[in-house]
Amino acid sequence: MKSLICCLVFSVFALGLSVSGQVIRIGVVGPMTFIQGIHHWRGATLAADEINAAGGITVGGTTYTIELVRVDSNEMQPGPDAVSAVERAITASKVDFLVGGFRTEAMLAMTEVAADYKKIFLIAGAADDGLLKGRVDKNYNRYKYLFRITPVRSTYLAQVSFILLRDVVETFRRELGISQPKIAIVAEQAAWANMIVTLVALQAGTPVDKGGFGGQHVGTWRPSALATSVAAELTAVERAGAHIVFTVFSGPVGVVFGRDWGRLQVPVAAVGINVEAQAQGWLDATGGFGAYTATAGIYATGVAVTEATLPFIEKFQAEFGELPLFTAGTYDALYILADAIRRADSLQTDAVISALETTDYVSTLGRIVFDELHDPIWGPDYITGLGVQWQDGAPKAFWPREWQPDPAKLPDLVISTPGTVPYVIPPWVKDHWQGK
Amino acid sequence: MYYGRYLLRYLQNEILVLPSRVIVLVFVASLVAFPLISQDPNLLRMLIVTALFSLYAVSWDLLSGYTGQISLGHALFFGSGAYASALLSSHLGLPPYATIPAGAAVATLAGLLVGIPCLRLRKHYLALATLAFPIMLTGLVLAFPGFSGGEGGIWRIARLTSTRIEEYYLIVGVMLVAVFALWKVAGSRVGLIFHSIREDETAARALGINTVRYKLFAFALSGFTAGVAGALYAHSSAARIVAPGVVLSLFMSFQPVIWTIFGGAATIYGPITGVFILYPLLDTLNVVIPKYRMLVFALLVLFILRFMPHGISTWIRDTIERVCPSCQVRNIATRRACRACGVELRHMQP
Amino acid sequence: MVASILVNGLVYSGVYAMLALGFGLVFGVGRVLNLAHTAFYMVAAYGIFYFASTGFGMPLAVVLTTLGIVAAGIAVYKLFIEPVREMEATVLIATLAVAVLLQELVLVFFGNEPRHVPPALSGFTQVVGVRVGNQEMVTLVVAALSLIGAWFLLSRTKLGLAIRAAAQDREVANLMGINVNQVTAIVMGLGLLLAALAGIAVAPLFTVEPGMWMNPLVIVLAAVVLGGLGSLKGSLIGAVILAFAEVSVVFLVPGGSYLRTAIALLIMVCVFFIRPEGLFGSSIAEER
Repeated sequence: MKSLICCLVFSVFALGLSVSGQVIRIGVVGPMTFIQGIHHWRGATLAADEINAAGGITVGGTTYTIELVRVDSNEMQPGPDAVSAVERAITASKVDFLVGGFRTEAMLAMTEVAADYKKIFLIAGAADDGLLKGRVDKNYNRYKYLFRITPVRSTYLAQVSFILLRDVVETFRRELGISQPKIAIVAEQAAWANMIVTLVALQAGTPVDKGGFGGQHVGTWRPSALATSVAAELTAVERAGAHIVFTVFSGPVGVVFGRDWGRLQVPVAAVGINVEAQAQGWLDATGGFGAYTATAGIYATGVAVTEATLPFIEKFQAEFGELPLFTAGTYDALYILADAIRRADSLQTDAVISALETTDYVSTLGRIVFDELHDPIWGPDYITGLGVQWQDGAPKAFWPREWQPDPAKLPDLVISTPGTVPYVIPPWVKDHWQGK
Repeated sequence: MYYGRYLLRYLQNEILVLPSRVIVLVFVASLVAFPLISQDPNLLRMLIVTALFSLYAVSWDLLSGYTGQISLGHALFFGSGAYASALLSSHLGLPPYATIPAGAAVATLAGLLVGIPCLRLRKHYLALATLAFPIMLTGLVLAFPGFSGGEGGIWRIARLTSTRIEEYYLIVGVMLVAVFALWKVAGSRVGLIFHSIREDETAARALGINTVRYKLFAFALSGFTAGVAGALYAHSSAARIVAPGVVLSLFMSFQPVIWTIFGGAATIYGPITGVFILYPLLDTLNVVIPKYRMLVFALLVLFILRFMPHGISTWIRDTIERVCPSCQVRNIATRRACRACGVELRHMQP
Repeated sequence: MVASILVNGLVYSGVYAMLALGFGLVFGVGRVLNLAHTAFYMVAAYGIFYFASTGFGMPLAVVLTTLGIVAAGIAVYKLFIEPVREMEATVLIATLAVAVLLQELVLVFFGNEPRHVPPALSGFTQVVGVRVGNQEMVTLVVAALSLIGAWFLLSRTKLGLAIRAAAQDREVANLMGINVNQVTAIVMGLGLLLAALAGIAVAPLFTVEPGMWMNPLVIVLAAVVLGGLGSLKGSLIGAVILAFAEVSVVFLVPGGSYLRTAIALLIMVCVFFIRPEGLFGSSIAEER
């Protein structure tokens, strides 16, 4: 009964506003009690305030302001909540567009709801290929409403992490004279990690001239994404004689890994994907033991990926006192949406979709152009992402630095993003392997 | 005309005399008539989930409330029903009317498979052994991600019906029919034997009852019911996806226990009361005060159990009705004399 | 390999044994299947985090946390559990509700992000070629001391005799002039003390987060039934078996280390096929 009244109030409210015709309602979807969801919301509010302050969005002579609706998907807790939240946002809060999302399994379900109601959903926070692949290409008419802003899909994420791994392998060769570094993999047990794990395991031992890492694969460990200690796994990694550990973590186990690794001073260099290590609070969460962790990331201190990056980071830090997490990509999502609406000069869903498909927008992440899967294109000149390492208490970028995307065909193309620094082998690792 | 009058008299003599029966009648009628009042998709979805979870809770009550075989791993049955039908739907493209019975069959089988080894276990050992099964099944699901979808789960599951109203009527209908059938089973000789197994299994055996067979029957029936609920859930508009973190979680195992104990165990209507109070409440709290929803929920459960340890529906029933001491017929609490035998009812403890 | 399993297994054994002993005591004497047991362990970890971060100094923080946990736990027991103690299913859900309540309270006060507690001793030592953190040693020592203390209390004191008598047969103990209700409350406090110490000891090792009670709960329940309900020796041995099973999975099947809990439980179920009353449970114990 209470929810009935609630719905009534909501819909009357929504009706009143839509009659006045001045508002575009955007639902920000995320686990709002978790850091990921909080950053979803922060990124979106920042963008909405800026757009509204700059005069809103003008469509066909009418000026609209953006109104955000907080959609708590509660997606960390298993259950039907995520679906309920999105459906309620669409039917009761009458949102016109949706942005955000984090966990793959919740996203799959929530985007189904968006497709049912034919609402555009700009994904900002989930990387799984399958959110778009096999949907937008196979059943365009049903899934054309879905676009991904950030992060790049996990295939590309894997590619970035491979480049980072190669960088680290090279550093070991150069600085420690280890010609065939041994590589261990520690990856959380999650669907999106499987492909990355298989590929790294395959390529670790492949010679460099055949496109591999020219090292040696010594084992793969798959702790649960919710494990509270990986000391045993780390001991096993050390026993396997690994020089480098390739990590694939999106959940809290990343913190556990960083802490146990630094605390036990396990003599392996950690590089790969560790979403928690992208957060400002990484050192606090790991008790300072997470220093020298390297991960594929989006934002780093003092690195201007595009001219939009630093102003956004500075503003975000001024407002909230920390670096934005990748889920704050809702900021770019709102700008891209506003850009598309302006170009379409319409709020008609199909017109906006067509406009979104022809997006060419310089965001804080890089230049965003969508491919036929509605995924942002990855590569030089588009979005590349960063390689981030915690050095001197701050996340510094060590990639793209002197990066040759295609040394065979384009030997002159070398990319160095301003503000990047070289990768540093953790000192205890260096001490351990020096002269061995 | 005759039947109409018969029905009216039946209504007057058998239903209107007892407030609990009136409540049931009103409840069923309002469930059936609900879409006439509101077709809000959110409310319908909430009621659909509530109905599914009622069936799930009743299945737990049947096994654990009646026979006393406490299962703390009921998500195994719900999950295997959901997984079986989702897998058939997604891999083979079978329609829901084929996958749901298959899901129920798999869950029945799971009930038997768990029931047979658990026959040797008593009380807490049984409870904790059953706790392990969904966790082990989760391990299995994660170990074969290519087939089971792994942690991400299965999607591309066929929808039950094309519209929300149809889905509502289908699921509420299945729930009402199934619950009625189980109510009949529970009231029959089988139900009595279930009670006797809980109260004193040795004595029941001494009376020549093959308790092993009845316990297995309880496991199978409970598995079947939970499997139907799980399979319907997989195809419903509330799920869209079947993932181990949802249908096989510890929380999913504990939920029917919470609902049933909250509502009143070994009653069939108790778990339904529990679900129909607690699930909509949780759903509403999620909108109103998302941050404190579980806090409020836990406090409510604690206080209700503290003051109504036999469950809320049992407490209500004992308050509004009392049993005639001489003929055991139930009467409304306001009556002075028993409606069947006329014995004085006043000044007696309920 | 063997050395690694041994060393890591011992650390986990210590933690699980502390939790299992407390849980087993409460069940044995109070006949309360306390699903909130590990939730108190979680709150203790937060307690030490809170007091340590406000700069009380470790010893004072430990004392405050343990006292707080024991007081809060006994209050909850008296308020919500004791009145319904006779109804097993109700107790089950009431304790579960307490666990959820504690988790949500922690969520409200501390939020969701994983917290870190600085180790009492940082650094590590090589033990038979295995890298062991000094904090792990501290945890192991705390566990050993608590277990020895509990053993001494139970086997060498009058109170211990009363506890064991109440665990054996509540009614007869009552007839023998033992104040069973008082003993139950004391045992409750003892169990909470062990849970709090375990929480404090692992806080620097494990991530401190509101959901950290779930997995230990499953393991502790499994350990207690594996050993045989009501048998304290059984609880300890069950904990050790499950800890070693988990650690062995990590070392022997690295690709399947997420399966550690599932495999530990599989072992428990297999034991049940052979001994339905657990390793050290007595089959008559049921009829009490």
